Amino acid sequence: MARKDFLDIASLSREEVDLLLDQATPFKELFTRSVKKVPALKGKSVLMLFYEPSTRTLSSFEVAAKRLSADVIDLDVPHSSVAKGETVKDTVDTLQAMRADYIVVRHKMSGLPQAIARQTRASVINAGDGAHAHPTQALLDAFTLREVFPDLSGRKVLIAGDILHSRVARSTSSLLLKLGVEVGFLGPGSLIPRSGPEGIRKFTDFDEALRWNPDTVYLLRVQMERQDAQYFPGVQEYHRVYGVTRERLDRIQGEGIYIMHPGPVNRGVELCHEVMDYERSLINQQVENGIAARMAVLYSLKPQTDLEDADPGKI
Amino acid sequence: MPILVKYKVEAMSLLIKGGKIAAEEGPLVPGDVLIVDGVIAAVGEGLDVPPEAQVIEAEGKIVAPAMFDAHVHFREPGQEYKEDIAHGTEAAINGGVTGVVMMPNTSPAIDSPAVVRSILERAREVSRIPVYTSGCITKNRVGGELSGIDGMRQLGVVMLTDDGDPVANPAVLKNAMEYATPFGMFFASHCEVAELSGPRALNEGKISYQLGIKGSPACSEEICMDRDIRLAHAAGAHIHIQHVSSAIGMETIRWWKKMGAEVTAEVSPHHLIFNEEDIGDYDTHYKMNPPLRRAEDNAALLEGLKEGVFDLIATDHAPHSTFEKEQDFVSAPNGITGLETALVSLYDRFVTSGQIGWDLIVKRYSAEPRRMMGLEVVPVEESKPADLIVFDPAGETTFSREFMRSKSINTPFLDQTLQGRVELVVRGSEILLQR
Repeated sequence: MARKDFLDIASLSREEVDLLLDQATPFKELFTRSVKKVPALKGKSVLMLFYEPSTRTLSSFEVAAKRLSADVIDLDVPHSSVAKGETVKDTVDTLQAMRADYIVVRHKMSGLPQAIARQTRASVINAGDGAHAHPTQALLDAFTLREVFPDLSGRKVLIAGDILHSRVARSTSSLLLKLGVEVGFLGPGSLIPRSGPEGIRKFTDFDEALRWNPDTVYLLRVQMERQDAQYFPGVQEYHRVYGVTRERLDRIQGEGIYIMHPGPVNRGVELCHEVMDYERSLINQQVENGIAARMAVLYSLKPQTDLEDADPGKI
Repeated sequence: MPILVKYKVEAMSLLIKGGKIAAEEGPLVPGDVLIVDGVIAAVGEGLDVPPEAQVIEAEGKIVAPAMFDAHVHFREPGQEYKEDIAHGTEAAINGGVTGVVMMPNTSPAIDSPAVVRSILERAREVSRIPVYTSGCITKNRVGGELSGIDGMRQLGVVMLTDDGDPVANPAVLKNAMEYATPFGMFFASHCEVAELSGPRALNEGKISYQLGIKGSPACSEEICMDRDIRLAHAAGAHIHIQHVSSAIGMETIRWWKKMGAEVTAEVSPHHLIFNEEDIGDYDTHYKMNPPLRRAEDNAALLEGLKEGVFDLIATDHAPHSTFEKEQDFVSAPNGITGLETALVSLYDRFVTSGQIGWDLIVKRYSAEPRRMMGLEVVPVEESKPADLIVFDPAGETTFSREFMRSKSINTPFLDQTLQGRVELVVRGSEILLQR
C-alpha cells in the first residue's frame, strides 16, 4: 500500500481494505504472546494531536504505536500553544520541524485532517473529524464482524441511532458496503439524512428494522454534547422508541443477533444495562481489535518524511 | 508594474478594425469602430482610416460594451490584506469590467455619509474606472437603527443592503423600505434565515452528509427571499435579490414578477457553473454563501437567465487571503473572487456551446446593471461614449497567480486555462488594458 495518509473510507480501494484487514490478524495474534511488541516502527515517531477529548481512541492509538516500537508524543492540546490561539496551520508547521513521521489527529471540524495532510510530509491518520469520518473505527468494526462472519458478503448490519451527527455511521457503513454487507440505518426522522447515501435502507421503526432480519445491530452513542438543537423529546422516549430495551433484547437474543457499539455506552439510552452481559455482544472485542486495526494502519502507511529533497510542506 | 499608469490613446483617434459588434439585442454585426476624443465617432464596415488614427486589428474578434458588476467586495476600509479599491478595480479591468458597485460589509461598515465620502475619495485617487457603493440599511448592519439615508443618497448611493446579514426583524425592513423609497433608493437582499443556515458552509443534502458538515438548506434562502419580496411589495419598494442559487428561488422570483412586484434579481457565474459535487475533498474554493447547490439547480438558473427571470449577472467578487482559505472547510471564509474570471468563464462554458449568445451577456452583465444603478448604458453605437472591450474568442486565458491583479487568488479557476480572452479595454480616451 503506497498511501501516505489514512483520512477516510471513501478513497480506499477494496484491495487496500483487504490488505489492512489481513494485516490486523497477525498483530492481534501478537497480543497473546508474553512479549507484545515488534520493532516495525523503531526510530519513528507518532504524534497524537487530539483537539477533542478522547480516552479510548487516544489510548488505543498509543498502545498500537508502542507495540510497533514507535516513539509516541502526546501533544497536550488543552495546555499547548493551540489553546493560546495558534492556528492549526501554524501548529502543523511547528510539528513539521519536530519531524514526526505520523500525526494522529482528532478534531471537531470535518475536513481538518485533510487540510493538515495537504500541508505535511508526515502520514496523517484521521482519528475522527467532526461528523465526517472515523476510518480506523470502521476498520476495527469490519475486522470484528469478519471474526464472526468469515464471509461478510450478503450479511446485514443495522446501524441505529444519531446517524446525522455520527462519523462512525458514515465510515463504518461505507466500509461495510465495500465489503458487500447490506446496511440499514435506524433512528429518529430528525437524525436520519433525508438525501444520500445511496444503497442504504432507512428505518424509523425498530420493529420494522428487525423484520429486515439484520445479523448485527450496531448501536451508536447518543451524543447529547453534539446536539445543537432538540432532535428528540428526551432520553426516556429515545430509549423506548429507538433503544435496545429489555424487551427488544429478548427478541434480539431469540434471533441470535449480534450487538456492537463504538463506546462509550449510555446505559438506559441506546441500550439497557443487560446488553453489556449479552453473550453475543461484541463490544469488548471491538476495543481489543481497535489496537490491532490501528497497528495495521500505522504499519501500512508510507510517510514521506525521508524525502529530504522534497519541497517542505507541499506534499 | 505600477498599477496607476494611465495609457492615453497616443493619437487623437482610435480605429478598431474588422471586429464583430455585440449588442444587447440581435446577432453580432461586422463593423469598424472609430473613437475620437473618447466618443464613438463612427461605426460601420470599411471605415476610412483617418491619417492620425491608431489602428487596432480586430479581425475575428468581438467588440462589446464593457461589463458592469453590481456586486463586489473590495474590503476597504478594514480588510485591505484581502483586497482594496486599487487592486479590485484593476481586477475589474482585467476581466473587461469598467464599473462596479461595492457592498457595504467593510469595517467600519458603509452606513454613513462619512464612510461613503471616504470611499468615493479613495476611488478617485486610485481607480481608473468609476466605483459606486451601496449603503447599509441599518447602522453597522445589525438590523437596528436606520443608517444615514439622506446623507448617503446625496453622495449618490441608490442601493441599500445589510449584505451578508439580512435584516432579521421584518418590521425594521418594512419601515426602512417605506422610508427610503421616496428618496429614489432601492433594496438589495442577500437571503437567508440565520437559524436555518447553520454554519453556512454548504448545501444541505447528499454532499453535506458525505462530508459530515451541517448544511444550509435551500429553503433558508427561499424563505428570506419570499419574505423580502413580500415586504417590498407591501411597502411599494424596489427589491433586488442577490445571487440566487436554487431552482425554487428562481421560480419564486418568476412568480413575484408575474404578480407585479417590483423585483429584480441577479445570478452569479459560480452558481451557474458549479454545484456541490465540485467541493470534492473539502476544496474551500467552492465554499460560498449561498452555497453551491445541485446540478439541477445549475440547469434551472441557466433557464432563468435565458428567460429573463434574472435581470443581471453579478459576481459577488469576494477576495480572501490564501491563509484563510487554507483552513478546514468549516473555518474557511465564504466567497470567491469573480471579476477577473466572470466574462471568460461565461464565454467558455456557455457561449462556445451555443447555450447563450453575446446579446445575453451584454444585456445582463453590461446594460441592465447600469440601468438598475440609474446610469447610462454604453452600447457600441455612434455618438455614445467609448466604453468597450475587444474579446478574442479564439484566444485563451490562464488564470495564473501572475495573471491576477486582485490581491487574492481564491478562485476555482486558479491555474486553469479557459477559452476566450479580453484583449482590449477602452474607456473614454484611455486604453485601460491592452494585451
